Amino acid sequence: MVKFRPAFLSLFVLIVVPVMLHSSAIFPFDYKVEELENGLKVVSIPQPDTPEVISYYTIVRSGSRNEIEPGKSGFAHFFEHMMFKGTKNVSIEEYTNFIIQLGAGTNGYTTDDYTCYYVVFAGRKNLEEVVRLQADKFINLYYDEEMLKTEASVIEGEYYASFSSPSRRIYELLRDTAFEKHSYKHTTLGYLRDIMDMPNQFEYSKLYRTRFYAPDNAILLVVGDFDHDQLMEMVQKHYGGWKKSNYKLVTPEEPPQKKAERAHYDFPTRTLPRLAIGFHGPAYSEEKIDKAALDLLAEIAFSRSSSIYQRLVIEEQKCLSLYAGFSDRRDPYLLTFNAVVKQEKDLPYVENEILKELEKFKKEPISEEVLSDVKSNLKYSFARDLDTTDHIAGSLAFYINLATDPGTVNKLFDLYEKVTPEDIQKMTKKYFNKTNSTVATLTGGKAK
Amino acid sequence: MRKNIKYSLLGVLTLGLALTMLSCGKVNPNKLSSEFLHREGNPFVSFRILLDIGSANDPAGKEGLCQLTLNLLANGGSKSLTFKEIQKKFYPMAASVGLRVDKEMSVFSGTVHVDNLEKYYAIFKGMLLEPGFREEDFKRIKTNQLNFLERSLVSNRDEQFGKEILNLMMYEGHPYGHYQSGTVETLKALTLGEIKAFYKEQFVQGNITIGLAGGYPSDFPAKVMQDFSSLPEGHTPQLSLPEQRMPSGLEIVIAEKKTPATAMSMGFPVSISKADDDYFALWIAIAHFGEHRQHLSLLFQKIREERGQNYGDYAYADHFIQGSKKFPAQNYCRQQQYFSIWIRPLANSNRHFVLRQALRELKKLVEEGIPEERFEFARTYLLNYTKLYAQTLSEILGWKMDSKYYGYKDFLAEAQRRLPKITHEDVNRAIKKYLNFENLYIALITDDAESLKNDIIANAPSPITYANPNMPARILEEDKIIQVFPLDFKPEKVRLAPATDFFQKAGLPKSS
Repeated sequence: MVKFRPAFLSLFVLIVVPVMLHSSAIFPFDYKVEELENGLKVVSIPQPDTPEVISYYTIVRSGSRNEIEPGKSGFAHFFEHMMFKGTKNVSIEEYTNFIIQLGAGTNGYTTDDYTCYYVVFAGRKNLEEVVRLQADKFINLYYDEEMLKTEASVIEGEYYASFSSPSRRIYELLRDTAFEKHSYKHTTLGYLRDIMDMPNQFEYSKLYRTRFYAPDNAILLVVGDFDHDQLMEMVQKHYGGWKKSNYKLVTPEEPPQKKAERAHYDFPTRTLPRLAIGFHGPAYSEEKIDKAALDLLAEIAFSRSSSIYQRLVIEEQKCLSLYAGFSDRRDPYLLTFNAVVKQEKDLPYVENEILKELEKFKKEPISEEVLSDVKSNLKYSFARDLDTTDHIAGSLAFYINLATDPGTVNKLFDLYEKVTPEDIQKMTKKYFNKTNSTVATLTGGKAK
Repeated sequence: MRKNIKYSLLGVLTLGLALTMLSCGKVNPNKLSSEFLHREGNPFVSFRILLDIGSANDPAGKEGLCQLTLNLLANGGSKSLTFKEIQKKFYPMAASVGLRVDKEMSVFSGTVHVDNLEKYYAIFKGMLLEPGFREEDFKRIKTNQLNFLERSLVSNRDEQFGKEILNLMMYEGHPYGHYQSGTVETLKALTLGEIKAFYKEQFVQGNITIGLAGGYPSDFPAKVMQDFSSLPEGHTPQLSLPEQRMPSGLEIVIAEKKTPATAMSMGFPVSISKADDDYFALWIAIAHFGEHRQHLSLLFQKIREERGQNYGDYAYADHFIQGSKKFPAQNYCRQQQYFSIWIRPLANSNRHFVLRQALRELKKLVEEGIPEERFEFARTYLLNYTKLYAQTLSEILGWKMDSKYYGYKDFLAEAQRRLPKITHEDVNRAIKKYLNFENLYIALITDDAESLKNDIIANAPSPITYANPNMPARILEEDKIIQVFPLDFKPEKVRLAPATDFFQKAGLPKSS
C-alpha cells in the first residue's frame, strides 16, 4: 500500500536563500556524505529554512561511457526508460498514482557519465514513502520482454523528436569522427541502427542492470526540509538489502590521435551552416590544473565578451552564434568550438579565425584583468543556480557524479583561483595542436 | 476579465508610500504599474519589465515590428554604450537581459547578484530608456530574425513549426494570425525609422509594469519607478479583438518536407481563459486528458506508454509555453485562448493511425466525460503540483503579474481555494461546453503529403505494426477499432504546401 500524506505547503516558501559571495566557499551549505555497507553513498544537505520541499535525486553512474560493447550505443538512456516500469511489489500504476497525488516534479535524464532520477515534492511527512518507493524501484525493478519491446519504440520516437535538429547531427558526427575507441564516440541517444535493434536486447538489459544498477554504482542526493539522522534511518531500512555489483567498468582507452580529421554532413533541408572543431582534452579533475585552466580559456577566448565573438558575431556578423564547450567528463573528452555561420562560403573563414585565435593565446598570455572577470563570471553563474532545493540538487548532481563529495565544487573553484595567465598559455600549447583536431561541418538545403 | 489595475508612483518619495499605493487600486492608466516582492537577505534581485503589447500590436503589413523593436533593446546598444561594451560589462556579473514576446504581452527579464545591482541596473535602464538604435545592431538582429524564419523554424524545429502552423490556421486575418517574428516579406521591408517610431509610440508608461523581486535595498523600487517615469505618459488601449473563427469540420494543413517523422498539432479557439470560473473545471479535465509531460496524461498513456508511438502526447486548456523544468512559463497572457493537442514526432508509417487515435480519444472525452476516480485524481494532482509552479524569485514575480492580468490577487492561491470546490459534474459540464471533436484545425509536418491526403480523404484503413509481437490483446482489439475510425476529411479542407513556403508572406501559403 502506497501512503500519501497531503502537505500543507504555503505558496512562495520554496526559495532557498542562496550563497552570499562574501563567504569563502562557493558552495556554502552544510552537508554530510555517508556510505552504507553495500556501497550506496548518501549525500545529504538539510535546508531547514525551506519548509516542506525536498529534492530527492538518485544518481547512477550509467551513461554512454558505460556502453562499451558494439551495438549497444544508447543503452544507458534506454535503461533509464525501463526504470519507470514498476516492480512486483509496486506496480507502475500504483507508483504513478502516488507520484501524481504527491504532485511531485519527477523525471529522469541520461548523460555521457550518469543517469539521474529525481523527485521534487512537498511534505516532510512523505519522505519515508518516497525513500521506500525509490528503493523498491531500484532493488525490485520488473519488466518483461514485451514491455521492453514497446519501450524501444518510444526511444525511436525520441530520436525522431530531435531528427530535424542540425545541432544534434553535427554533434553526433564530431564525436563519431574524433573518437576511435572510447565509448564517448557515440551520443547518449545512440546510433539509430542500435536504437532499431533495442527490441532484441532483453537479455542484454538484464546484464546491464546487474552491472550498473547496484548500490556501489549509485549515490543518493537529498536536499531540503528533513533531518539527516532520520533520513539515514530510512535509507538504511529500505536500501540496506540492495546487493552490490562489484563490477568494474573498464572503458576503452582512446589512443592518441595521429592526424587531423575532417567530416561533413549534408543536411536534407535548408539550414544555417554549422562548424564544430574538437580537440582531445583532459578528464575532470579537482586537483590537476589542466582542465581548470582550459575552462577559463574557453570563457576568455569564446564567451560573449571575447574579442573573437564580438568580431564574428557582432561586428562582421559572419556567425549567428559562437561558443566553446569544454564539458567535464570522467574520462578525457573533447574541447569543442562551435559556430552557426550565416553563409556557407564563410565556413573556411570562421574555421581559420577560430584556429588563429587559439594560436594567439599560445603566443600571448592573457591579462590579469580579463582573468579576474572570468573568475567573477563563473562564481556568479554558479551562485545564481543555488536558489531552490531543486536547483541545488540539479547543479550538484553533475559534480557528485564526478567526485561524490560536494566539496569538489569548492576545490574546483579554489583551483580556478590558482590558475595564472601562464597556466592558460601552457595548456593552450599542450592541447590545441592540429594533429589532435577534428573538424565537422554541416550544410543543408540540397534536398526539398 | 482582465483587470487593468495600474498605479502611479510619480512623486512617491519613499518605498513605504509606494507599497501602500500598491494596495490602493488604479490611479492613472497612463502611468507606470508595479509589482514588488521584497525578500530581505536574498542576495539576488530579479527584474521583469512587463509590456502590455506584443505581436498583435504589429500594424498590418509590418508584421514582426514589435519583436524586432524589443529585440533591438534587449540585444542592441544604448545611447551611451555599444552592445559590445554592454556585453563586456555584463560578463563579470554573469548577467544579461532576456526578452520574450507573445501576442499581447512582452517581458524583459534579468537576475543579478546584489553585489552588482547598481552597475547592472545602470546599464539595463540605459538599454530600455535610452536605446542606441544603431544601424549595425538593426542589421544584425533583423538578419538573425530572418534566418530564424527562413532556415531554422521550417527546417530544424518541426515541433514548434507545427504549433505555429496551427496558430496561422486558427487566426487567419486576426491580430494573433502571424508569428511574432513576422514574415520574410514584412521583415525584409522594416526600417530603422519604423522601429524608432514604434518604440516612441508604444514605450510609454501606461504600457509598462515594473517588476522587482529579491533582496534589493529598500529605496531601490522608488528609484526605478522614478527613472521609468521619464517615459512619456500614455497607454495603448487593449486590443479589441475580432471573434475567433471556429473551424468548420476538420480543417487540415500539411507542410511537406523530407523527414522520416511526422509532427502534429491540433486545436481550436475557446471562449475561456484563466479569468473565468469554468477554467478550473476545464483545467482538471485537460490535466486528465493531456497534462504536459506527465504520466497523468491519458493521451500519453494511450499513445506512448501502451503503444510506444512517440516521446509524448499532451493537451492544453490555453496557450502554453514550457518554462523551467516542465512548469508553465509566465507572462504569456492573452485575451483569447485556444485548446490544443500536441503529438510529438512519430514514424511516418503510423501517422494516420495516431491521428485517428488522438481524435477518437478526444471524441470519447467529449461524449463520455472523465471517470469519477480520474476526476479526483487529476484534481489532487493539480492541487499539489501547482505548489511547485513558482520556485524562483523570477517565477514568483511572473505569476504575480499574470494573476493581476486575469483579475486575481494570486492565481495559484486561488487555485488552491477553487479546485477543492469543483465537482465531477462541473468538469463534465465544462468539457461539453468548451470542447468538441468535430471541428478542429490540424497541422501536420510530414513527407509524401499527397499520399496522406489521399488516405485521410478516403478514410483508408491504417493498420499499425509493432516491434513487440506479443502486444496485449486488449490493445490489439482497440487498434482494430482505431485503424478504421472514420474521420470526415473533405477534400477542399485538406491543404498541402511545401514547408519552405510558410512564413514567406502573411497567412497560410497557397495550397499546392
